[in-house]
Amino acid sequence: MQKILQQGGVRDLLMGNEAIARGAVEAGVQLVAAYPGTPSSEITEVLMQASREAGFYVEWSTNEKVSFEVAAGASLLGGRTLVAMKNAGLNVAMDTFMTLPYGGVKGGLVVVVADDPDAHYSSNEQDTRFAAAYAEIPCFEPENQQEAKDMTREAFALSERLSLPVFLRSVSRISHASGDVLFGDIRAEKNALAFNKHYQMGYRWNVYGPPGAVYKHQWLHSVLPKARELAETSLFNTLEKPAGAKIGILATGLGGAYAREAAARLGILGEVAFLKLGFIYPLPEQLVAEFAAGLDQILMVEEGDPVIEQMVRSFLKDAAPQVRILGKAYGNLFPPYGELNTDIVAAAFAPVFGKEIKPDPKASIRADKQALVIPRSSTLCAGCSHLGTYSALKAALAKYPDDAVHIINGDIGCYEQGGYGVFATGDPASNEESKGYVAATPYDMLDTIYVMGAGISMAHGQSKIGYAGGKLVAVCGDSTFFHAILPALMNVVYNDSDITFIIMDNRWTCMTGHQPNPNTGVNAFGEDYPRADIPAIVKAMGVGFVEECDSYDREAATDSLYRALEHKGPSVVIMTGECQLQKQRRTKKSLAKTYVSLNDCDGCRTCALLGCPGVKYNPDEKKSGIDSVLCVDCGLCAQVCPQNAIKVRRR
Amino acid sequence: MERNYIIAGIGGQGSIKISHMIAEAAIRAHGDQYRARVGETFGAAQRGGAVASHVRIGEGVYSPLLGKGTADLVLALEPLEGLRVGLPYLSANGIAIVNTVKQEPVDVKIGGTLRYPAVDDIILALAAIGTRVVAFDGSALAAEAGSAKVLSAVMLGAAFASGLLPFEEEIILAVLKENVPESSIESNLEAFRLGKEAYFTATEA
Repeated sequence: MQKILQQGGVRDLLMGNEAIARGAVEAGVQLVAAYPGTPSSEITEVLMQASREAGFYVEWSTNEKVSFEVAAGASLLGGRTLVAMKNAGLNVAMDTFMTLPYGGVKGGLVVVVADDPDAHYSSNEQDTRFAAAYAEIPCFEPENQQEAKDMTREAFALSERLSLPVFLRSVSRISHASGDVLFGDIRAEKNALAFNKHYQMGYRWNVYGPPGAVYKHQWLHSVLPKARELAETSLFNTLEKPAGAKIGILATGLGGAYAREAAARLGILGEVAFLKLGFIYPLPEQLVAEFAAGLDQILMVEEGDPVIEQMVRSFLKDAAPQVRILGKAYGNLFPPYGELNTDIVAAAFAPVFGKEIKPDPKASIRADKQALVIPRSSTLCAGCSHLGTYSALKAALAKYPDDAVHIINGDIGCYEQGGYGVFATGDPASNEESKGYVAATPYDMLDTIYVMGAGISMAHGQSKIGYAGGKLVAVCGDSTFFHAILPALMNVVYNDSDITFIIMDNRWTCMTGHQPNPNTGVNAFGEDYPRADIPAIVKAMGVGFVEECDSYDREAATDSLYRALEHKGPSVVIMTGECQLQKQRRTKKSLAKTYVSLNDCDGCRTCALLGCPGVKYNPDEKKSGIDSVLCVDCGLCAQVCPQNAIKVRRR
Repeated sequence: MERNYIIAGIGGQGSIKISHMIAEAAIRAHGDQYRARVGETFGAAQRGGAVASHVRIGEGVYSPLLGKGTADLVLALEPLEGLRVGLPYLSANGIAIVNTVKQEPVDVKIGGTLRYPAVDDIILALAAIGTRVVAFDGSALAAEAGSAKVLSAVMLGAAFASGLLPFEEEIILAVLKENVPESSIESNLEAFRLGKEAYFTATEA
């Protein structure tokens, strides 16, 4: 049986994302839709694994906006639905997300967004609690995995009570951390489905025409006071106020865990007032006023931006003007970037309470020995098809004059490793230092990386403004192609720019954990399903140059890419080669047969600069070698070796 | 009671699995009394990146991350990764258990000027911080038990032998059995036993 389907009363270790999934199961969820995005993907993955046994529908949609609309449509019929995404995913869903609350929903709709303070897996640190307030819908923020489960369950009930989508804001350290969770009972009954055309009034409610958006916005504001009332008494908001306390800690979500531990470490727990908010929007103002009464100072502890700090500040300006509020916006308690932890919070609290942090007796040894630590850059996998594509692209671009400044616009996926560099210059390197690039590895290919689908239109803009300093290239993966490229590619064709676009087709959505997509050839459950035909789609859009090429045939790939670069107007090359991790999982690799003939190797390092983790250069002996455990016998290194020193052993 | 551990390695070695098994066993033994937290890093893990899993068990445990200098145990599946987390996190009263087999980062493999530090220097550095370092070739023990894949069970056995894990052997063995494929239960149990043995017989710094 799936872990998240165990009966109520069990206590088990759950990852935050599993806890959210369990909360949805307990609430009797009927439909789940999502696009993968770290750190949110496991919510959908575990629900998918449980879906057939538990009897609800789960899908990987092609992007977050699509998934949001799938859930919204089902919710209008009265069904309980959940949509999960990462921080940046909400930006994609924003159009519908902002409009759906006007008029609201019928069945519980829970929007789970996993933010990423410290940008562990993301291109920004955006705090999506702003978006919950922007859309004017209730927002929960869990402190731990237990609350992640309980809040998800409660969010469905709240959504139905208020007829509004409910926002659950997770963060990486909730979603990807684990904790003990006491399971609740599973609601066995499912909501009945019906569509009432005259819901709320005598004519069609779910159209944006008459009575008009303003009327519905007014309706939304008639509901919000009810939401605030429920926040005032929510069990997710707790106030401890010892008599005589002059300093108060106001913590939201995970900040509550850090603040509690920091207070315990400083020995002030039980002396300070402590307000922990989990139902954060609308702000429970009366509770905040009760907390602030008689206090001199409030210390704000929240992960992300000073969202609640600003709300509290503007409310207390009249309600408790005597209080000084220290946080991220004012008072410099914490920087408004990066993430918190107990050490940071304790260090910030200590001077406020006149305490000192115990000095570390080993501090100087720790600092001295740091010189031993060398970095470990993340890489593409051994034999990854992207290594072949980047190697061929480098060779094709090398046919142009040396003073050309080509621009390679990147995208989001494993191939974004092509913009991260490796630590390998002659300078002393450490984790903290910026990376020194060695020319000619695949890890210095990409010049821009922003968000999914951005590269192609950036290249288009660079072409249309008249850049003539070099070739304009953009890359994307197969999952991105369906997520964000289709309108962008149509735009390139319609407005006719001179760019080369490379689709790096490895068949899976790998970066987020190998989810299938329309190009994979299997459905969400791993059952065979016809693959979408990417070359045919590109041709149908009217691209004048379209070629498909094997990433592992370096000569053919170089020629194809060169032809594409030479082509005037939009050109597209689809580079194919299935993800090696997926391929090796099926074929159960033994030790590799590829080896370096040491007599033939002249130590030129060309193979090592391919950037494949399966190739290793020995600088003392000036010879290359193959790691036979990692190597997958893809043959790329043998193709780049000028001495033909890399051979395949016959068995 | 409060216990803090870090399990360090590179993606694919099983450090996350070890951390989950320890936390699961703690919940099974003391779920009504102690909280359990595991803070983990994913993402780059699949591509050979550094992985450090924080495990915390105890009454006053709320956060998923250890404080600096508070690790009672650093369990290193790879020496450089043991050093990377051991330097900031190993407690002055803590011990480190290190698999001595190194996995070179690509930054070294491409043959630039970066060099992997001597494993002996790594062990001495950790010994200068904590009270004890136990180092052995865990990968060889894994091979002896049946396959490179049971390295995590070897290291779990050694961690258990340290006496720092707050539960009985039968509980962790039950959790281990539930967390590995049925066909490899025997080799995992053997790996656990060899790891336990290695803890007492390995060279010490």
